[in-house]
Amino acid sequence: MKQAVAIAGAGCVLPSGWGVESFWAAANEGRSAITALNARRFSSERVVAFGQIQDQDHQRSRQDLAQNLQRYCTPAVIWGVSAVRQALEEAGLADEQPNVRFGLYCCQGGYTHPSLDSYAELLLGCRQDGVADMAAFAKRILQDRAQDPFLVLKGLSNCLLGVTSLALKLVGECNAYMQGVAGNLAALREATAALQDGRIDAAIVVGAGSELDALALSGLVQAGVISANGSNALLPFDLRGTGGIAGEGAAALVLRRREDLPAGPQACLADMTAHATLDRLSLPDSPTDLLVCSGTGDAHKDRGLCQTLALARASHITSGLAINGILSAAPSLVDLMLARCALQAQSVPPIGGLQQPVANLPFIQGAPHAASLEHCLVLNRDDNGFSAAYQVFYSAKVTQDCR
Amino acid sequence: MSPTRIVITGMGAVTGFGFEWQSMWQRMLAGEHCIRPWQPEGVEAGTFPVRYAAPVDMGLMPAHLKGHPAWGLSLEKRTRFGWVAATQAIADSGLSTEQLRGAAVLSASGAPAHRLQDMLLSLADNPAQAPSWAQLMARQAQVDPDSSLCQSNDRLARVIADGIGCEGPVINISSACAGASQAIGNAFQMIRRGEVELAIAGGADSVLSLDTMTALYLLGAASSEQRWGTELCRPFDRHRSGLIAGEGGGFVVLETLERALARGATPYAEVLGFGSSLDAYKITAPDPQGRGAVLAMQAALTDAGLKPQQVDLINAHGTSTPLNDAAETLAIKTLFAEREHYRRLLVTANKSQFGHLIAAAGAPEFMLTALACREDRVTPTLNLHDADEQCDLDYCAHQAVKRKVDVALSNSFGFGGLNTSLALGKYREAPR
Repeated sequence: MKQAVAIAGAGCVLPSGWGVESFWAAANEGRSAITALNARRFSSERVVAFGQIQDQDHQRSRQDLAQNLQRYCTPAVIWGVSAVRQALEEAGLADEQPNVRFGLYCCQGGYTHPSLDSYAELLLGCRQDGVADMAAFAKRILQDRAQDPFLVLKGLSNCLLGVTSLALKLVGECNAYMQGVAGNLAALREATAALQDGRIDAAIVVGAGSELDALALSGLVQAGVISANGSNALLPFDLRGTGGIAGEGAAALVLRRREDLPAGPQACLADMTAHATLDRLSLPDSPTDLLVCSGTGDAHKDRGLCQTLALARASHITSGLAINGILSAAPSLVDLMLARCALQAQSVPPIGGLQQPVANLPFIQGAPHAASLEHCLVLNRDDNGFSAAYQVFYSAKVTQDCR
Repeated sequence: MSPTRIVITGMGAVTGFGFEWQSMWQRMLAGEHCIRPWQPEGVEAGTFPVRYAAPVDMGLMPAHLKGHPAWGLSLEKRTRFGWVAATQAIADSGLSTEQLRGAAVLSASGAPAHRLQDMLLSLADNPAQAPSWAQLMARQAQVDPDSSLCQSNDRLARVIADGIGCEGPVINISSACAGASQAIGNAFQMIRRGEVELAIAGGADSVLSLDTMTALYLLGAASSEQRWGTELCRPFDRHRSGLIAGEGGGFVVLETLERALARGATPYAEVLGFGSSLDAYKITAPDPQGRGAVLAMQAALTDAGLKPQQVDLINAHGTSTPLNDAAETLAIKTLFAEREHYRRLLVTANKSQFGHLIAAAGAPEFMLTALACREDRVTPTLNLHDADEQCDLDYCAHQAVKRKVDVALSNSFGFGGLNTSLALGKYREAPR
């Protein structure tokens, strides 16, 4: 019998704004935070929209991280630390907790090399007839020290882990992953197991990333994750959907053993299942009150996805994809956050922009839908076909059984 | 119910010593190293301050590997090394394709090393003018398809999983120099929790490119020392001056003992425990008191149900950097202080022989620790002629040591203040 693990706190810095309240408000209003793509180093007539963190939210996030640590960070890492601080605040763990053993599990986006922006001036100064002049480059970086000395740290795939641990003085067990859905699943599994084994008392799971550079976006186009058709609307599960739009941001969850939390309803994580292919993903036998599934924004793909969604026999289906775009580093964390908000509010937000559903399923359209919600299923799928399903139940009881 | 026992049944390694673990083991026992003069591609000889490295010598590739699919696909060098190492480990284990279907694949491949020419293609000719998407796409087609810019970070895990038809979890670990150790540790934990019965875990990396080595040099991590020639990697020596980069990959097959015995496999060694920790000290330097390292080793021993007095060998992270080696020594002396057990411990540093494989480092070092448990032989720490006064343990200097090794730890620490330790034991029929 394993102990139940509850989501004790959540935080985020997303295109929808700073904090879970902003995210939940946007979800309820069906409001998309996707805007015109604004990139300094390239312009595009084909990829024109992006879920971008607003400057005021970036500045607010910076307040959560000491100035001397910011020099090591890409913006996404700063958002990640801010999201963690929010989640700890909600969990009542913001102040120093000498008797709480923390575990830290981080996920970074798939493309975490620092933006080529940081190299651009240097590279361009080392070009000779269109090709790289290696000797000139070596001179610039070695003699003139023209390269950002912290570039290698910004490029570290565990930069989020290192900076978060420094910012919060965390010394417990840890891991870092770099892989969307699979990374989130692995982090959540390790965190849950560490809590259930009694190795830690609180787990911080955080994901952060951004694909706002030309090569990353073109990679997503080539992988079929985002569209390059000039579309500026992301319409999951809608017949008008023509493809995905990328977004950036960070989300964090603080997990605790249910029995360590005060009485009162808590959103608890139950089974986590996964499979390399969606159609072989194990789903719960019993119907679920709410299904949270991002979808892709591509009508053809989403119609295929609906065959699996139908098996969940959900009373309500919603998606947060249209709010922020496709997030590389925290897809499951954001969906779990959405599920938790819905369970707490006993209300299901609509799928933003949905007018012509791709299938006859209980998608929520238009306005939030009040409902009695106890069991929720979160279903994620990545562009490689890897799929994960999380069961979340809302329980006022301190139950020992997480099934 | 007794806890699930997990054993190593297959190993594969690509290092500067060659393309399999057997020759690596023999040459390391013989006290050889594979560090040699090196300069980045395209840079005039003698102008780059980092002069030595331990690159993989493609000329050592055996004939049977020349037809490996890794050489036929568009892949980064590190992905090729990793895939070859994983294939070797699987072949070594004797597992069939059908038996591998439910396996988990966990790999670490570090931060990508970009080529300047590829990066240039993504920029405008005129810095003041942003290129159009069409221009970018046209240039994207010119980027070398083997380039890191065309590959996602989890490519290695994916190619291994696809290559063996694996339907289990595919996990990409990204914890810098502790990456491969963390992959192996996580695989161990997943098997013990019953999530899978079998895992292929390890890592691959290569930082031997101009931009990455420059970054390591500017950070002060890579040695630019020249007076010692190819003997400049000298962990725990007074004259140690920084890491010497290597490249390659290593993978192991882990499975439950029950499953291994049922199919007639002979375990190399048993994995007993895993621990990780954070320093929360500095992103570029270890805690000089080694507190994080103590926590990781202690966690591994607790996880294994072992006492410090039971440990015979520590395969140290041993980077040859001034800070790491002193801090790691202090950590060992702190954890093994009771009755001065640290005086009875053997400590070795494999990086003196094949350099620092960065994200992959922990995998071949884990294998060498397993072999030490099996063979009761410990590979030496080379070039330790004048020990630092802060480094006063038995580091197996110069020559391999023959001594009974029942329990050992393999340490890997990473940038960002991340520490891991894996506990291994000699395989024996009865549980400890």
